[in-house]
Amino acid sequence: MPLPKLAVAYLPLILVGATAITLMLGIAWRRQHHVTVAVSVMGLGLALAAQIMAWRVVPLTTPLLAFDGPAMLGGILVLASTLACAVLAHAYFETFQNAREEFYLLLLCSAAGGLVLVASRHLASLFLGLELLSMPLYGMLAYAFHERRSLEAGIKYLILSAAASAFLLFGMALLYAQTGELELSALMASMVRGSGAWGLAGAGLMLAGLGFKLSVVPFHLWTPDVYEGGPGPAATFLATASKVAVFILMLRLVLSAPAFQGEWLHAVLWVLALASMLVGNLLALTQSNLKRLLGYSSIAHFGYMLLVLVVADGLAAETGGVYLITYVPATLAAFGVVILVSSATEGRDAGALHYYRGLFWRRPYLTAVMTIAMLSLAGIPATAGFIGKFYLIALGVEAHQWWLVVGIIAGSAISLYYYLRVIVTLFLAEPGMYRRDASPDWAARAAGLVVLGAAVLVIMLGLYPAPMIALAHAAGGVIAP
Amino acid sequence: MELAFYLSALMAVLATLGVMTNPNPVHAVLYLVVSLLAVALVFFALGAPFAGALEIIVYAGAIMVLFVFVVMMLNLGQATVDQERQWLQPRTWLGPSVLATVLLLTLVSLLWRGDIQAVIEGGGLTARGVGTLLYGPWLLLVELGALLLLAALVTASHVGRIGKVAAPSPAPRDLPTGASTPANGQAHQPSTNGVAGEDV
Repeated sequence: MPLPKLAVAYLPLILVGATAITLMLGIAWRRQHHVTVAVSVMGLGLALAAQIMAWRVVPLTTPLLAFDGPAMLGGILVLASTLACAVLAHAYFETFQNAREEFYLLLLCSAAGGLVLVASRHLASLFLGLELLSMPLYGMLAYAFHERRSLEAGIKYLILSAAASAFLLFGMALLYAQTGELELSALMASMVRGSGAWGLAGAGLMLAGLGFKLSVVPFHLWTPDVYEGGPGPAATFLATASKVAVFILMLRLVLSAPAFQGEWLHAVLWVLALASMLVGNLLALTQSNLKRLLGYSSIAHFGYMLLVLVVADGLAAETGGVYLITYVPATLAAFGVVILVSSATEGRDAGALHYYRGLFWRRPYLTAVMTIAMLSLAGIPATAGFIGKFYLIALGVEAHQWWLVVGIIAGSAISLYYYLRVIVTLFLAEPGMYRRDASPDWAARAAGLVVLGAAVLVIMLGLYPAPMIALAHAAGGVIAP
Repeated sequence: MELAFYLSALMAVLATLGVMTNPNPVHAVLYLVVSLLAVALVFFALGAPFAGALEIIVYAGAIMVLFVFVVMMLNLGQATVDQERQWLQPRTWLGPSVLATVLLLTLVSLLWRGDIQAVIEGGGLTARGVGTLLYGPWLLLVELGALLLLAALVTASHVGRIGKVAAPSPAPRDLPTGASTPANGQAHQPSTNGVAGEDV
């Protein structure tokens, strides 16, 4: 295989890694918050451009990585959300008294892990990618460690994530013992020929490990606490880039060997999907903290998305792509508003809903952003979320997955209640007490622009979804063996 | 060779059980060392001497050294000496010693039977093989491992920092509820009046 093509495919990863090294050297030399942010944003922007350029060389496989449609789409989503997180973190950490620069270093390392994970076709690269994605997140979540909640979130994620990694590794060991293969496609092929009890146990353990990272329902208990406690940008990264990368990986797993869709895996995914939809939405009903609410809502959204893995044929990859593209900007916008209202210096993030009472009367545009994000997450027409839900339900109906379709509809109905409750809170009359607020010139700053851009994107994709569908279609069309 | 594998695997399991059930961390570490040695012997029996050696050097060696360092740093005088004397009761070291003896016997009997390569089926995994794999097709993984260690190091150095930390402002939640915080000058602290059921 010609080297230049390979170099083009590796370029985003190389750029992200090089930016991380540059940041490290810069921090060692002189601490400059603005310069650090500028360098990381520039590096991520270049990597994003390189990732888009890399579309031209797909499909391309190396022993460890497969550069194909899902990998490209996943890479774009991971890099775009990392970029947004970096800009939001700039606003969030602006007045932070402690060292601020390391956050971006960790963010870049984590993004590199995400890039590897979405492209991995080998158990070794899968594991290292996943660890590289999660390991910096411990530090990011515990970044404001003098704040008790942040430290708690970091430690909670550290311990539970380590346990999940242990499950994953043990599952890999069992699969290797059963099949003698580490490459995913070969592994799947020999599983199809006959997976013994050990192979099944291994696949089950791997599913548990990956399910933890996706926080689908039996493995979801950490999600609300970590989302609430972690600093806003870290929670945003966790909700967008991290989950997107793991989902793309699972998509590749089930798509690379459709025959692997045997009885039991099918059944397990089915149960996980239905449980996540219902439990996530029902638990979100009672939340009065916006970050916790978004955590539960992300559980429900990934429950919906598991439908794609259950069906895993025909339109599945395209549907998964469309839903991810609609999910990411809405989540970024919602978390972005929380970040703009919060600040690392003011103690805990402004998560509680009562901070947002009457936000409309003070910050009408910020309220519009939040409203759009909530409507999109709820799947109201004219927002991107509607297109995603439409695709999912169409896929489910086509595959005769009636119960899951019922689950999606019931879940969406339940979710309307709590999303609308947030919107109503925004428009309530202002109470008399002093509360936290975004800085007056938020819209003129980079972070404000990112939030506004995400909201505009949500509306644009909802009204004119053709480019998004074309992108997802192209991603679903090229899947490396 | 199979007997050696199963025997050392059994020792590893027993020693790990010892680690988990032992209430005293120092005693647990003794078992842990035996467990790691047993796993190293498992690697040897499987024909991976390099992995076995690494297991001993990195895990058993590093853990031993760390353990010794901690004991050195915590060595606080007569009380500690008494405590150590008390720790050296036979029932403390008997278990790990028995397990380690079995391991030693296994190893000796293996060596007695002659050339290891002749007994192991299939090719052995040598340091050369590991090196060519790591720095050949798996080079990317080595680089990613480096990035992973960098992230871990940065995390540790940041969280371990005792720098100029602004006095953590008391979170609204931590204040006693009700009107106990009038005019304390904290403009950004919302009053918690009338906030019921926050964070269910």
